Parts: sequence; structure tokens; C-alpha cells
Amino acid sequence: MKNILKITIALAFLFSLSSCWGDKSKPNYQYMPDMYKSVGYETYTENPNFSNGMTTQLPVEGTIARGDVPYEYENTNEGYEAAKIDLKNPLELTEANLDNGKKMYDIYCMSCHGKSGAGDGVLVQREKFLGIPNYKDREITEGSIYHVIMHGRNLMGSHSSQLTTKERWQVTMYVQQLRTELLK
Amino acid sequence: MTFIIIFLMKILYQTRKKRFFLSMKSVKKHSPLSRLVNSSLAFLLLFSLSLSAQQADVANGEKLFKANCAACHKLDKKLVGPALKGITDKREQDWLIAWIKDSPGMIKSGDKLAIQVFEENNKLPMTANPHLSDQDIVDILEYTKGEEAAPKAAPVAQEVDPGVERGKQIFKTNCAACHKMEGKLIGPELFKITDKREPEWLKAWIKDNNALVASGDKLAKEVQDSNPAAMTPFPQLSDQDLDDLLKYFAVGDLKEVALVTADASSEKIFNKPGFGVIPTLGVTILVFLLLSLIVAATTNKKLEEGEESTESMLKSMIFNPFLRFLTIMFLLLGGAWFFFGWLMQIDVNEGYQPIQPIAFSHAIHAGDNKIDCQYCHSSAKHSKTSGIPTANVCMNCHKSISEYNGPLFGDYSKEDLDNEIQKIYDAVGWDKENMQYIEGYEQKPIEWVRIHNLADFAYYNHAQHVTVAGVDCQKCHGPVEEMHEMHQFSPLTMGWCIDCHRDTEVDLTENGYYKNIHDQLAKKYGVEKVTAAQMGGLECGKCHY
Repeated sequence: MKNILKITIALAFLFSLSSCWGDKSKPNYQYMPDMYKSVGYETYTENPNFSNGMTTQLPVEGTIARGDVPYEYENTNEGYEAAKIDLKNPLELTEANLDNGKKMYDIYCMSCHGKSGAGDGVLVQREKFLGIPNYKDREITEGSIYHVIMHGRNLMGSHSSQLTTKERWQVTMYVQQLRTELLK
Repeated sequence: MTFIIIFLMKILYQTRKKRFFLSMKSVKKHSPLSRLVNSSLAFLLLFSLSLSAQQADVANGEKLFKANCAACHKLDKKLVGPALKGITDKREQDWLIAWIKDSPGMIKSGDKLAIQVFEENNKLPMTANPHLSDQDIVDILEYTKGEEAAPKAAPVAQEVDPGVERGKQIFKTNCAACHKMEGKLIGPELFKITDKREPEWLKAWIKDNNALVASGDKLAKEVQDSNPAAMTPFPQLSDQDLDDLLKYFAVGDLKEVALVTADASSEKIFNKPGFGVIPTLGVTILVFLLLSLIVAATTNKKLEEGEESTESMLKSMIFNPFLRFLTIMFLLLGGAWFFFGWLMQIDVNEGYQPIQPIAFSHAIHAGDNKIDCQYCHSSAKHSKTSGIPTANVCMNCHKSISEYNGPLFGDYSKEDLDNEIQKIYDAVGWDKENMQYIEGYEQKPIEWVRIHNLADFAYYNHAQHVTVAGVDCQKCHGPVEEMHEMHQFSPLTMGWCIDCHRDTEVDLTENGYYKNIHDQLAKKYGVEKVTAAQMGGLECGKCHY
């Protein structure tokens, strides 16, 4: 009889050990945490060295990231009009550019503007956003399209943090293609 | 349940319709011919205010109020003139009738109260309304008594005019990007804008506001200067369209509001928590214990009957050295197996579900609204980490979506979820009433808790998997679009990585850049398709260096 008791105690003990990570809202045990966690600060960690306590910092004012070209048109109605007339797409119209433009469009624009650019995306159908214009109803140029992706306009926000300069131009190219197709 | 509710709603709807016919009849009664009869009945009506009669008064009163008073007065707010709700409690009815009919005359005649009112309201003279009959004014005053009848009356008007419905459609497709019916968005709110501006002016403004400004219209210039965002011209709208649109502005969609609240209440009934998992489990365990107790009791009795023989058998078994050896071996091996299992699960965080600072639901954003994963996690395509979106990405949509209107989930009420959206505004300093960022606001980071975290000695690159290999996010992160609360779906162990590298075939058709290497590898291994492992996906140095 004693043995049976011992067995059950041992089994219960082992069972409790094997399932001891009970609270799933806390991370599990680690063997040697100093091998798991880097000494250096990781992307989103807190950081006592900066005044705002974050590792991610904005670029120092007045500096330009390597390979980046500053955008000169201001986020105003005048800037929009100027970009509409003067700004031109530096990329060549190629299959590859259009392909990537479509890829990016499907991720960043389609939810509202719809697959064909008719302003009938899922968010419009579900009435989360309303009044998204059809591309064919608006006088838009490559300059104005780029400007709006860069700075946003009215309720549309800026998408410059999600797309690189090249991708923005590719999307512009694709939007123009959609527009010509809608105008047919 | 659903059927009962639908049935109830049907009945409600029908009774409302009946009421609508009733009120229509009584409105017709107010033709000039029957007015005489009516005014003679007014005395009686005032004393015996039956429900339907009161409504008739109110409906007519509302119509007259909108036509004659609403340019300068609102019920609940000061406009040009004072708010009119409850005015009948403050002033005598006879005085009010005289005042409304000819206020300038009353001031001239030296009525003290009249002069006082005139001076209280910045000496802005009120227009005389000599065309209104006493009965009309009584109706209007009845309307100002309270708004309870107003929502009932509004849907009536909506059903009368199909133009309102059309106007609503036009509003949705053209205006709603910048305007809301109630509350400021990019442009001002449009509900009852018809009370503030002349219809002709509104039409000209909507068609081409720039032309209107250019034509030298002062009001247009003022409106344009007061708002930094330029309004888009809508030359494609016809006069009929504009008429309908203005009708919609005047009426609004109170009916829909009523329906939505009905929906929400029925939703609540269905979302009431039933018999939860934990009580059910508890009951099952209790029943099981009881059963085992009964079984134990009965077997014990049997043991007592044949006590001697069984005891000796048990004794011989326990003291048998070979059997003892076997049991100990079994226990040791079993223990080692469990111990090994325990060691293996250390730092495996499958199912890790921390409490996040905002109750963000992937199921709503990625599932219901079908927003692409990379819309928010945009750095996954170029970077090692698939970034946590900065709050400006949230604000791309939540500038206009400041409250949650979808089906409820979890234990959250609508207020809770609206509060969760408010947390973004608190972080970035967004003033949702005035639709602008608060100047000089000290922005605070949203402290999300990281779920997927590889040990520092393992290298993983999102861009390589997402952009180069074209692996779906769900392959590793599971059905995120169904999770209200995010948790870790995969174990993220080395064995798990390698399993996938062994199985995954590399797409050779759309990758021209690596074509030569792929061909060589295929020849080397004598296969047609190359797996990630055969390309070096198992080499230690690929991930540990």
C-alpha cells in the first residue's frame, strides 16, 4: 500500500512539474536568460539613455537618410496644386514596376479604393468609410497622386511611413493605369 | 429567440405605420376649410389632450417651426435667438402668441417684458410673423414643449419622401469622405445645414465652391477661409440630386439610429453568457468523484468477504523482489521521461497570451474588415522585424472611426471598446471633437507586449520569408484573422523551423534571379524540386552565428 501512495505522489509531482507554466499571460521559464536576451537594446525596448525612454528614435532634424531624396512640396493646398502640375514620375513604365505597384496597391489602398479604383473597397462596403471617390471622377495627375500618398489629403492619412519612395511611385503608376481603364 | 424579436419588431413597425396614417389624416385636416372647425375645437383639444391629437399638433407645429423659426432658433441650443425648449413654462401663452405675431409692434407699444427680451438678446430684432394663425402658434408651442414626439415625427417625413433615401445614397458616395451628419469631420457637420444656409446658395456651393468664391460671394469666401481643407467641386451632381441631398440634410436618419439601438439590444440578449466552461467542468469532476466513491465502497465490501486469500496474494506480490525491481525501473524510466518532457518545454511559449495595453482585435481588423497584415506591419517586407505599427498608421483610419459599432465580443461593452479607441487618441493627442491634433501635446508610447520573441542566439528575418519566399503570415502566426486576442500559435522551436525547411519546396518558376543556382541544385540532388533544406536551410550558420 505504501508503494502505491509513493507512486501517486511521484506521478502527481512530475505531472505538476510538466505543466507548471500555468499562467499563459506570463512568458514561460528560460534556462539562462542572459543567453536569450541581448545586452544591446532591441528595436522596441525601453531605453534609459534617451529622454523619451524609447530605443526607436526619430531621425535627427536636418539630416537625410542615406539614399533618401527629400520631398519638397508642402502639405498645403498650394503644395498640392504645385505638385499636381510640376511633379513627374522618375521611374520608367515597366512591367516590373507595375507589378510591384499592384502588389503594394492591393495591400495599402485596396481596402478603401477598391480593386479597380472605383471607390468600393471592403471598408466602403461595410460602411466604415464612405464617400471614397472613383478615380475617374477626379482630375488627378501623377504628381497629385504621389503628393496625396506622401502627405494624405482630407481624411486620407499619409502613407509615407509604410511605403518607400520607389514603392510610392510604383503605386502612382498603377493608379494611373487603373484610372485610364476606368475612363474607357 | 430571433424569431420572437423579429416578430415583435414587425408589430412595432406596423403600429408605427398606423400612427403615421393617423397623423397624415390630421395634417390634411389643417386645410384652410377645416381650420375654422379646428380652431373652435382647439379649446377642447387643449383640455383633453388625447395622445393622437397631441401628435397631430406636434407634427404640424414641427413643420411650421422648421419653416418659420428654425433659421434663428433651435430647441435645445441658442442659435441667433434663444433656445425654445420649455419656453411655455417661462412665458404666458397669450403673451407668446402676441410676441410671435408682431414683436416689433409690442416693443414699440411699450410692453415691459417685450423690451426686456429684446435687450437680453443683443437687440437683434425678431421677424414678425403676421401670417401665422393662433392655432398655428399653439401648434408650434406644443412642439417646443418637448422633443419626445420629434423622433417619431421625423421617420414619418422620411417615409413620405423617397428623395430622402436617394439623398442619403448621394451623401454616402460623395460627401461622407469628409462630412458627417452629426459632428465635425474634415468639413463641418451637415445635419440641418439647410436651416443655416439658403438652398440655392448650398446648391451653387456644392457644385463648384471655387466658382462661387470667384464670383465674389462673401459668404462663400468666409466659409472657405474658415476651413483649411479645400472642398472638392461636384459638377457631376444634377439639380435633382442636389434637391434630394438637401432633403436628406434637413431630415437626417433618425430612423436608422432607432433601428441600430434595437439591433444592439437584441445583440446583448444573445451575448449573455450561458453556462460557462468552468462550472460545467466542476460539475463533471464532482459527478466523477461521487461515482468513484460509490465504486470504491462496493468493492471494499467485496474485499472484506474474501479477505484472507486476496491479502496473501497482495503480500506475495509486494514482497516479490523481481516485481519490486521491475516497478522501480518502471518508475525511474517514467520519471526520466516526464523530467525530459518538462525540460523540453522550458522557454517554449506556445499559447503565450499577454494582456495588451489596448484590446486590439485582429479578428475585427484583419478578419472582418480584411485589412492586409502588411498594411500595419509594413516593415515585414523590407526588414528583419515585422514592425509594430506606429500610431499614425492607426490614425489613418481612426481619425474618422472614433467608436465601435460592430458586434460585441469577449466581455467588452460598446463603451469599453470606444474607450479602447480613445487610448490611441490619448497616446497621440487627438481631439476627436474638433478633429485635430492638440498642439504641444506630449505624446506617449503605447506599450505593447511582445509575444513572438526568439532567443538572441537565433537569427530570423521577416523580409526573407515574406518577400523572397512568399510565405503567408498565417503559416507561422496561425489564423490571426480569427483571434480577438493575439496569442502565440507556433512553438517557435528549432525542430519546428527545420520541419518546415525540409518540407517547403522552393518556387522555381517566378524567381529568375536564382534560376542557375536552382538548376544546379536540382541536378546535384537528382530531383525536380528543391526544398529549402537542400538550399542550405539546415546549415547551422544560417541562423546561429
